[in-house]
Amino acid sequence: MDNNSLASARKPVRVLDGPLMLIICAVVVAILIILGFLGLPNNTLRYFFKIFLYIVMGSMWNLMSGFTGMTSLGQQVFVGLAGYSVCVMTTTCGMSFWMGILCAAVIGVVFSLLLSTFLFRMRGMYFAIATWVVAEAICTWFKSWEFVQMGSGMKTVTRPKPTTLDVYIWALTLFVIAMVVVYVLLRTKTGLGLTAMRDDTDAASSLGVNIVMSKRLVYIIAALFTALAGALYWINSGTIYPDSGFDINWTVAMVFIVIVGGIGTVAGPIVGAIIYVVLSEVLAKFPGWSNIILGAIAILVIVFLPDGVMGTLQKKLRFDIFSQKRFSEPKAKNSKKAA
Amino acid sequence: MQIVQLIINGILLGGIYAVLGVGMTMIFGIVKLTNLAHGEFVILGAYASTLISTTLGVDPILTLIVTIPIMFLIGMGLQSGLINRVMLKGSEPALLVTFGLSIILQDLMLLLFTADARHAGGAYSSIVFNIGPISIALLDVILLAISLVTIIILSLFLKKTYLGRSIRATSDDTQAASLMGVSVKKTYGIAMGIAMATAAVAGLCIALKWTFYPSSGGGYLLTAFGVVVIGGMGSIPGTMVAGVILGLAQVIGGANWGQLISYLIMVLFLVVRPQGLFNK
Amino acid sequence: MSEPILKVEGVQAKYGDFIAVHSATLDVPEGKIVSLIGSNGAGKSTLMDTVAGLHKPSAGKIYFKGEDITGLPAEKIVLRGLSLVPQGSRCFIRMSVEDNLIMGSFPKTARKNVKKNLERVYSLFPVLKEKRNDPSGSLSGGQRQMVAIGRALMTEPDCLLFDELSLGLAPTIIKDIYANVKDINRDGTTILLVEQDTQRAIKTGEICHVMLKGNVVLSGLSKELGDDEIKKAYFGI
Repeated sequence: MDNNSLASARKPVRVLDGPLMLIICAVVVAILIILGFLGLPNNTLRYFFKIFLYIVMGSMWNLMSGFTGMTSLGQQVFVGLAGYSVCVMTTTCGMSFWMGILCAAVIGVVFSLLLSTFLFRMRGMYFAIATWVVAEAICTWFKSWEFVQMGSGMKTVTRPKPTTLDVYIWALTLFVIAMVVVYVLLRTKTGLGLTAMRDDTDAASSLGVNIVMSKRLVYIIAALFTALAGALYWINSGTIYPDSGFDINWTVAMVFIVIVGGIGTVAGPIVGAIIYVVLSEVLAKFPGWSNIILGAIAILVIVFLPDGVMGTLQKKLRFDIFSQKRFSEPKAKNSKKAA
Repeated sequence: MQIVQLIINGILLGGIYAVLGVGMTMIFGIVKLTNLAHGEFVILGAYASTLISTTLGVDPILTLIVTIPIMFLIGMGLQSGLINRVMLKGSEPALLVTFGLSIILQDLMLLLFTADARHAGGAYSSIVFNIGPISIALLDVILLAISLVTIIILSLFLKKTYLGRSIRATSDDTQAASLMGVSVKKTYGIAMGIAMATAAVAGLCIALKWTFYPSSGGGYLLTAFGVVVIGGMGSIPGTMVAGVILGLAQVIGGANWGQLISYLIMVLFLVVRPQGLFNK
Repeated sequence: MSEPILKVEGVQAKYGDFIAVHSATLDVPEGKIVSLIGSNGAGKSTLMDTVAGLHKPSAGKIYFKGEDITGLPAEKIVLRGLSLVPQGSRCFIRMSVEDNLIMGSFPKTARKNVKKNLERVYSLFPVLKEKRNDPSGSLSGGQRQMVAIGRALMTEPDCLLFDELSLGLAPTIIKDIYANVKDINRDGTTILLVEQDTQRAIKTGEICHVMLKGNVVLSGLSKELGDDEIKKAYFGI
């Protein structure tokens, strides 16, 4: 077995990212646009709409957890804040939903910047729980805040009401931009430094990357795109409550998507989001069982397929889509973390 | 006088919070695992106590005789059958597995027990003592006593027995513990079993004190985590004090703001003193 | 010479792809003090961890009292009477000195003699008796090393491995601890001593092994090995 793994290690990893790969991606996107205008049924468009948004959110969670080692359980705070931004701008202020989206983006960036000042003092489990506590605190606050009509929720009043095709195209655009951002970010010195840090702290410091600034950048980018995805979702959905906006299930979905798709791979969240949306549509026929089955699948994947679908495929077939060189293989070190 | 009443109520509540957090702090300190399913286990304990007591017509407190061993075995089984396996891959996969468990458990309870509110009542549930202007519910005193007894037994066990010492040793240094003949995996299993047993006790307290739903676990998980953060992981005196602090916050803030105040205290501790009150 | 109580045959140990011990072979005869020396990074500590069961060997065999213990976990090996005092003492820092020592009696075979063994450790290291209720984290480096030695003695070992016994300790304390090691050996415990302090190791150990780059390159009776020979083996020149 040892000899085997050594032999396969010698076989070079084919990184698929040259001009050919870019052309393929462009073609896929073009097909998706054409399909939209060719008049796919609205139900199908909504499917794709959901998949695009979940890819964006999953990729952002992946960027944080998979590439930089920040496991957040509180990303729902940005989804909820974005939803409320859209509602407040359109309903309370009577402006267009474009202002709502802008507002969601600004609030996402400002709030994440604010949070990062104290969240970044924490590590590992403390970071994870702190993000969740913050989300819960905001949720509790919104439930008793009259400005957002407390627990009774808010509506988006969008004039003119965007068509399904509109939101489809916007979500597709957001998805493409998000993937480009992930791709570019991972190629920069910042991205390389962060991955290095996740794999090996010494290697990262020797690269001379300002880790805190880089992590903050990733955190803010993740917040921004999660907020944008949330804004689109709530424009389409229309009504938000504190319990639905700040629902931990948003993060549950992101975690599922990344784990199943393949943590730390660029293509993983795309595969994961497709699996998630299709599965949850199928499982909707079995009310009550859907989360049980999703949870069980996630656990089985962690136990038996810890690299997820894409991670396992990439390892087996020795290829890598749009990825940087990884600094080291899985952490085999049994390092004791001092308390 | 009202202040005295508030403080008494806060302390009485603190007992429940302490027993809610003690299992969490054990797992956090010993297994180095954040068990995100702790809240659901507590609610599972609450259902078990409620159902057994109504089916058999016995006092809810007596159901502990059954629920504690069952929960112990569930905890041990989960740890050795599942969590120990993923812990080899690092702390994040283990965290996510417990996250998955919490989702599964929550919806399983929803299927089994419906979304109806439940509550367990004993003969003592409505008895109130009045000492001058201050009134104390017998139930609250009983719950505080149950919590204290649980925590005292636990801390004596950890201090005075070989098994308890081996658990503490493992939490300090796993390799050195294994050099003393301690099987780390077995110890983790036992620690998780004990944590689940305390969840059974916490569940009983919650069932007697409040109404609960399958979805109540998340809130209690955060309270339990609050106890860990404020008290410091693995610290039993810290756990008691943290319980009282959160109890007071709850009582002072009332139904609207109690939760928010608790969260703010937690965030404050996470920022200023993440090691908790009693750890250096 | 008596039958070796511990035999290491061609043991290889890796961390991931990094091979720390290539092929180590050595014998430890019963009742002796044996020293193992080598420069930093020669693989001594990895070999000790592997023998004690903290690390799984990727090749080779380890026999203790004639039985194959290759790949057994540490908690099983200690039950057979082989105990390691790890590098840097590794006390249970939040536990009291006495609780640390009592942890050494965790193996069921050792439990019935807790009191007796505790007295033995306290007579060997009187200072520990004074500090029995202090958390071991508050002790000095030398005292922690005493706790670690005492703790290992409480497991009632037939063979004790010391990893970097003198590392980071003051010279006077090293002298005392070495005196204790000789006492322990006189009571019948075989000792394998890993040291960077070459002179002291050669003086103390009756038999000496030298490791270089993951291999045992020289073995022999300490008094028969010449200084030059050891130096050559140690530096690989």
